[in-house]
Amino acid sequence: MAELSDALFYTALGLYALAMTGYFFAMAFTRVTVDGGLSSTRAGVRAARVATVLAVAGVTAHAGSSVLRGIDTGRIPLGNMFEYSSIIALLAVSGGLVVLQARYGHTHLMGFVLAAAALMMGAGWLLFVPAGPLVPALESYWFNIHVTAMVGSASIFMLAFLATALYLARDTAERRVAARSGAGFGAGTVGAASVNLADRTSDGTTITSPLELRRVLSPVWFVVVPGALLALYGWEGGIRGAAGGAVIGGGLGAWAWYALPHLPAAAELDTLAYRITAFAMPIYTFGVICGAIWAEEAWGRYWGWDPKETGAFFTWVLYAAYLHARATYGWRGRRAAWIGVAAYVGLLVTYFAVNLVVVGLHSYAT
Amino acid sequence: MAETTTQSVDPRHQPPPGWGRLPMIPGPWETLVLVWHRLRRMSTALILLFSLAIASIVATFIPQEPLVPDTVARWRTGAAGPGRTVAQVLDGAGVFDVFSSWWFTTLTVLLLVSLTGCLLPRYRAFWRTARRRPATGRNLGRLSNSVELTTLLPPDAALDDIDRILGRRRFRRRRVAADDAPSGHTQLAAERGHWREGGNLLFHSAFYVLLIGVAVAQTLGFTGQINVVEGGTFTDTRIVYGNVRVGRWFGIEDHRGFQVRLDDFEATYHDNGTPDDFISTVTVSDQGEVARDGATVRVNAPLRHDGMKLYQLRFGMAPRIIVRAGDTVLFDDSVMMADNGGVWTGTAKVKTSGPDQIALDMALLPDFGVDTQGRPVSRSPQPENPVLFADLWVGELGLERPVDASQFIRQGEPVAGATLTPGDSSARLIGNLTVEFAELPMWSGFQVSHAPGRWTMLVGCVALLIGLVASLYSYRRRVWAEAWRADDQTTRIVLAGVALQRKVEFVDAFGALAAEVRAALPDPAKRPAQETAMTSSSEAVGHSDMTSGSEAVGHSDMTDAHHG
Repeated sequence: MAELSDALFYTALGLYALAMTGYFFAMAFTRVTVDGGLSSTRAGVRAARVATVLAVAGVTAHAGSSVLRGIDTGRIPLGNMFEYSSIIALLAVSGGLVVLQARYGHTHLMGFVLAAAALMMGAGWLLFVPAGPLVPALESYWFNIHVTAMVGSASIFMLAFLATALYLARDTAERRVAARSGAGFGAGTVGAASVNLADRTSDGTTITSPLELRRVLSPVWFVVVPGALLALYGWEGGIRGAAGGAVIGGGLGAWAWYALPHLPAAAELDTLAYRITAFAMPIYTFGVICGAIWAEEAWGRYWGWDPKETGAFFTWVLYAAYLHARATYGWRGRRAAWIGVAAYVGLLVTYFAVNLVVVGLHSYAT
Repeated sequence: MAETTTQSVDPRHQPPPGWGRLPMIPGPWETLVLVWHRLRRMSTALILLFSLAIASIVATFIPQEPLVPDTVARWRTGAAGPGRTVAQVLDGAGVFDVFSSWWFTTLTVLLLVSLTGCLLPRYRAFWRTARRRPATGRNLGRLSNSVELTTLLPPDAALDDIDRILGRRRFRRRRVAADDAPSGHTQLAAERGHWREGGNLLFHSAFYVLLIGVAVAQTLGFTGQINVVEGGTFTDTRIVYGNVRVGRWFGIEDHRGFQVRLDDFEATYHDNGTPDDFISTVTVSDQGEVARDGATVRVNAPLRHDGMKLYQLRFGMAPRIIVRAGDTVLFDDSVMMADNGGVWTGTAKVKTSGPDQIALDMALLPDFGVDTQGRPVSRSPQPENPVLFADLWVGELGLERPVDASQFIRQGEPVAGATLTPGDSSARLIGNLTVEFAELPMWSGFQVSHAPGRWTMLVGCVALLIGLVASLYSYRRRVWAEAWRADDQTTRIVLAGVALQRKVEFVDAFGALAAEVRAALPDPAKRPAQETAMTSSSEAVGHSDMTSGSEAVGHSDMTDAHHG
């Protein structure tokens, strides 16, 4: 059963990669109209449909993999970093399909969700642990609640991070377009600039092409920064890992650059990021509280500034700062978004670095 | 304040030209006011939050003394980490114990002052707004969410219906008489969503509760650790515990004095050698009377007794070693051993006085075997085939020093050695000195703690969570309805609403509300006699999405009744 579970995991990973390509094709076959609307060719519509089917199939296989692993080990499949990463990816893709695509209709965000999920699965796969029982310290129902809440909120924060990062890119593009065309940009409700692409000037109708959003930003940075980051991450696997990381990161960056006109307007992305974060925050808080209760049961103290606890604390503080900044004049908009990015980096550091680099009570979670 | 004003009054002290443009140096009171105003600003709070985050990031990656004292010691000597000089700088800044450092405390205090500064005026404002009755609305037709309806009900009856609908939606309502309303028509003012600010205040106030919980735990709490061999007993008194952390107001007399005997310790393993469970079975006695017989202490399942909690912390093997000189027993005790990667090691201090001190350096393989290269290994963590290797040291070993027994002075080579299995007869070391491995009990390590304030913490956490959810999802909104009799004897109603937050959600909510109101009010269009007159005015004029299919068939009878 463990082998079947592993096979389904790889199947899901492959399906996600295919679906990601499908969404990319769908975007390439979609024209952005002057008023910011999207109109897909027949091929584009089909590609999106196929991609959706592939993504749903991937989720099904992925869920099957996790369920089988749970049955095989006789516990919830949340006992080590491989399993956490897998479930985070699964929940992120499901959440993306249900909320981003079905509810809000942001089909062009789905490719990024799948890419992030696949990266998370890849990172988890590097930490693969064969299916097995838990060490006694982890056998507690508080542990189950704690880990479920943590993993659930981490997956939602992942979606929020995507929205935040894409907001920053899109917002930069919108500001530059506005500055170049001389079209004033009205401050949106959240401080994001909202550009009216079809702006009338006194001498008639000048129409700024939506593709201008792409032209005002150099694709070089979009390729170099994520490429370098992932190359750094892949460095552990030698030159080949670094090269692989650079290609994947660069490709995703180039894609984000290409997607600039297709993305929802900056103000919309910002609102989306805020809503997702606001949804995840209580779950995350609940998870930390459950962790404290569990620590009390297991170690006789609810808080001991163990590296993992410290990490959870600063992640929480940063997300709290994001929510406050979002409501503070002079901070909302880009500044708040950067805090959101910092908070997600904090989450990743807490999740990966603290487990792998720092020795603490949570180290056995690897 | 006084110094600054007297200067300008006295003509002899006229400042030279240009002097007045220089900023005046604020007095202590002004500085205090300035600092207070600065602290109350949200941007200050944000910067403090960042500092807090950065401090904890530092604490994550720099070893912390309370957690890993050995690592910190090695950083200090330069054996690990960035070197001695850097470690000295770090030490000076208190970075090895961030959470007890003066600057972290300062940061927390500043954040609390800032929080208090933000909260106090908001409490006052909330106290006022929450009790205030819904305010009257003006220019309802111009609000972003507004619809106009026509009905045959008299204005008061129509407003009664709307009142009921709003009541079902848990709005606070107030009827404003026509004379008091700005438009001169009877108005129904409704409001909802005080939970947003209420939740916000609850969330932030929860931190005070948490702080009280921490303070209670730190001043009245106790934590200590103790290791005990199977068959052994310890009494809950201060002196028996190691690694003691005790609050200022937890005195020696606060120890309960109960006795705990370790009857049995069992460690079980899965087939692949990973641990399954660790169970200590204990008997707890109070003043000689058995209070708990055969109670178990397991990981994640502590034992509670008399306000104290016993946690399973660690365990190990404790071979009983007997050392004899001829017939004289020099040493007969269980030596608690520590796990060093499958090999258990420990030291027996056989003779600690005089120049000829005797110590045994011991290593135990619980499941003795030989690997492919012929080296002794332990095949499993369970004591299937225990073999003990003992090295005898004699001389000036420094055993009388107050250091861990394993750190005695080893010079040269051990005098003699022996390989022992449990139950074997004594092995001769040197002269008439013999050693015997009598049996292999286990030892179990407990953490004993008294942690008051746990419930305070829990209450704080629950308040925090409720407040957080309420402040994120609740939103203030006001709805007004105005009704008046038009010239054509129908009743005109304006229903309007405003949301202070979550405006997008409110558009939908208002649409649903308007649809329900329209369905509840008898529509004059259903009356054949007035059909021609009414069709145009029955259409809702509004900006929000309206569901148009709100038929009001069942109400035609009622309309007749009103007009009969």
